[in-house]
Amino acid sequence: MTRLAAVSRRTFEDEADAEGLDQTPVRTYWHLARGRFLRNRLAVAGLVVLALLVVGSIALPALTGDAWRQALLAKVNAPPEVGIGADGELVFAPLGYSDIGQNVLARVAKATGTSLSIGVAAVVIIVGLGVSIGSVAGYFGGWVDNLLMRFVDIVLSLPGLFIILALVSFWGGGSIWVIIIAIGITSWTLAARLVRAEFLRLRDVDYVQAARALGASPLRIIARHMLPPALAPIIVAATLGVADSVVVEAALSFLGFGISQPEASLGNMLTEAQTYFFRNPWLVVWPGLVLVMVVMSASFLGDGLRDALDPRQR
Amino acid sequence: MIGYIARRLLQAVPILFGVAVISFSLIHLAPGDPIDRFRTPTVRPEQLEGLIRLYGLDRPVHEQFWSWLSTYVQIWRPEAWGYSFLDGQPVLHKIAERLPATLLLGGAALLLTIAVAIPLGILAAVRQYSIADRLISSLATVGYAIPSFLLGLYLLFFGGVVLGWFPLFGMESFGREGDPLDIGWHLVLPVTSLAVQQIAGWSRYVRASMLEVLHQDFVRTARAKGLPEHRVTYRHALRNALIPVITLLGLTMPSLLAGAAITEAIFTWPGVGLMGVDAVAQRDYPVVLAFVMIGGLGVVIGNLLADVAYAVADPRIKL
Repeated sequence: MTRLAAVSRRTFEDEADAEGLDQTPVRTYWHLARGRFLRNRLAVAGLVVLALLVVGSIALPALTGDAWRQALLAKVNAPPEVGIGADGELVFAPLGYSDIGQNVLARVAKATGTSLSIGVAAVVIIVGLGVSIGSVAGYFGGWVDNLLMRFVDIVLSLPGLFIILALVSFWGGGSIWVIIIAIGITSWTLAARLVRAEFLRLRDVDYVQAARALGASPLRIIARHMLPPALAPIIVAATLGVADSVVVEAALSFLGFGISQPEASLGNMLTEAQTYFFRNPWLVVWPGLVLVMVVMSASFLGDGLRDALDPRQR
Repeated sequence: MIGYIARRLLQAVPILFGVAVISFSLIHLAPGDPIDRFRTPTVRPEQLEGLIRLYGLDRPVHEQFWSWLSTYVQIWRPEAWGYSFLDGQPVLHKIAERLPATLLLGGAALLLTIAVAIPLGILAAVRQYSIADRLISSLATVGYAIPSFLLGLYLLFFGGVVLGWFPLFGMESFGREGDPLDIGWHLVLPVTSLAVQQIAGWSRYVRASMLEVLHQDFVRTARAKGLPEHRVTYRHALRNALIPVITLLGLTMPSLLAGAAITEAIFTWPGVGLMGVDAVAQRDYPVVLAFVMIGGLGVVIGNLLADVAYAVADPRIKL
C-alpha cells in the first residue's frame, strides 16, 4: 500500500471513528514492510548474525584490551584459556594463541571490526557516488544522461579487483582510507544504474509532474519526491555492497597489498595462518568462517529487504 | 549484423580510450615512482637519472600518455605496448607467452560451470520444491557465499597439503612438461575454486529462467498434444530457457579473467593474472596498464559476443 493511500484512509477513518464504525488500525508502508521482513526467517537470522558480529567485534576488543595486538613470547601457540590473569586482568582466549602469541579470538574480533568498518565506509562512498550520478542522469536525461552513462561504461570496463589492487598498492598500501576510497570509486556503477532506472520511471509520474508544475526546484524534486520511492533498491544494493567490500578487503590483505601486522584483518590473518598451517591448522578456519558468515547473512538480509521493501519485484 | 558489429566496435573505441586515460592517470599520478626500489646508497644519482630517462619518466605526463597509447595501436611492431620496467622484455611478448595458461584456466572453469550448472538448474526447475530442488538451492546459497580466494586457499590446504592428492603450485611438474594428464591434474584445484561461485550463480539463474518458460502457453500446448515429458523439457522449454543464459556468458568471461588474477596468485599459476599481480608489487607500470587494457577489452568483447549470440539464438531479436 502506498503512503498516499494510507493518508486518504486516515481521513476516512476519522469520519468512521466519529460514527463509531471501522476501528482498523492504520498500517503504513513501513509497518507492512516490517511485517513482511519479520516473516522471512532467513532474513531475520541474517540480521541477527550480522548484529552479533558487530557486537562481538566491539565488545571483545574492549574487554581484552590490547590482547589482539600483544605478541606474548610465553603464549606462542598456547592452548585456549579463560580466567583472571596474575595481574588481575581478564584473560579470554577460548581459541588459544597464534604462532607469535597473539590472542586469536581477540584478533578475529578486531579483524571483523576492521573489515566491517571498511565495508560500511566503502558503501557510504558507493551509495553517495551512485545516488548522485544516477539521479542526475535519470532526472535530466538527454545528453547529460548519455555522458554519465558512457562514464559508467568506462568504469564498468575496468577489471575491478585488479584495479583496486593497483590503486591500493601505488597510493599507499596498508592505509585503511586508501582501501576504502579505492573500493568506493570503482564499485558505484551498479548503484548508479539502479537509481537511474528508478528515476527514468518516476520522471513522468503524475505527482512528480505536479511538483514540477508547482515550481519545485530539481534538487527538491529529487530529494523529496523521487529519492524516497527509489530507496528500496538502494538499501538492498548497499547491504550486498558491504559484503562485497569486506571480501575485496580480505582478498587484498590476503595477497599482502592491504592491511598488515600488527593491524588485524581477516585477509592478513589468513596469510599468517597459511605460513603456520602445520603447527596450528585452526588459524585458517576462524577468519574464513567469519568471512562466509558475513557474506551469507548479508545476502539473506539483502534478499529479505528486497522482498519486504519492494513487494512488486517478487 | 556486420553493420551492427562494426558500430559496436566503433562505440568501444571511446570506452577503451576512457579506460586508458583513467588507469594511466591513476597509476602515473600516484606518489612515488618505479625506480624507488633502486634508491640505495650504492646507486649513483647519474644511474638513477639514466633509469628515469630510459623509462621516459622525465617527460611530462601527457607526453608519456600519448607515446604510451600510440604503442597500443601499432600492434604489429615488436615494441608495441612498451617494454617491461622489470626485465626489458616487450610487454606484448610477455603477455602472449602467458595468455595461453590463463585462457586454459578460464576456459576450463567456464566449461565446468556450464556442464554442472545447466543440468542442476534444469533438475531444480523440473522438480520444483522437491528435495533435489531444495538441496541444489541450499548448496547454491552456500557456494555463492564462499569467496573464491577463500575456497582456493581451503582447497589448496585440504586437497594439496592435508590429503596430498593435488600439486601445490604451478601448471606442470618438473620433468613432465607438456603432458596433458599432468596439466589436467594441476588444473583441478584452481578450476574448482574459480567455478564454484559461478556454478552457484548460474544454476539459480537457469532454474529461474526454466521455471518462467515452463509456465508459458507453448509448453502447455506441447504437453496437450501428447509429447513425452522429456521432449517437452529438453526440446521446447530448455531451448527457450537458455536464451537469457547467453547474457551470463558475456558477463562471466571478463570476470573470470579478473578473478583469475587472485586464483593464479594463490596457485602460482603461470598466467597473465599472476604476472599482473607481480607487476603491481614491483610497480612495473607498462605491464600493469597492459593488464588493465586487456581487462577492458575483455569486457567490451564479452558484451558484444553476448549480444550477437543473443540475436543468433533468438530470431525475435533484430540487431
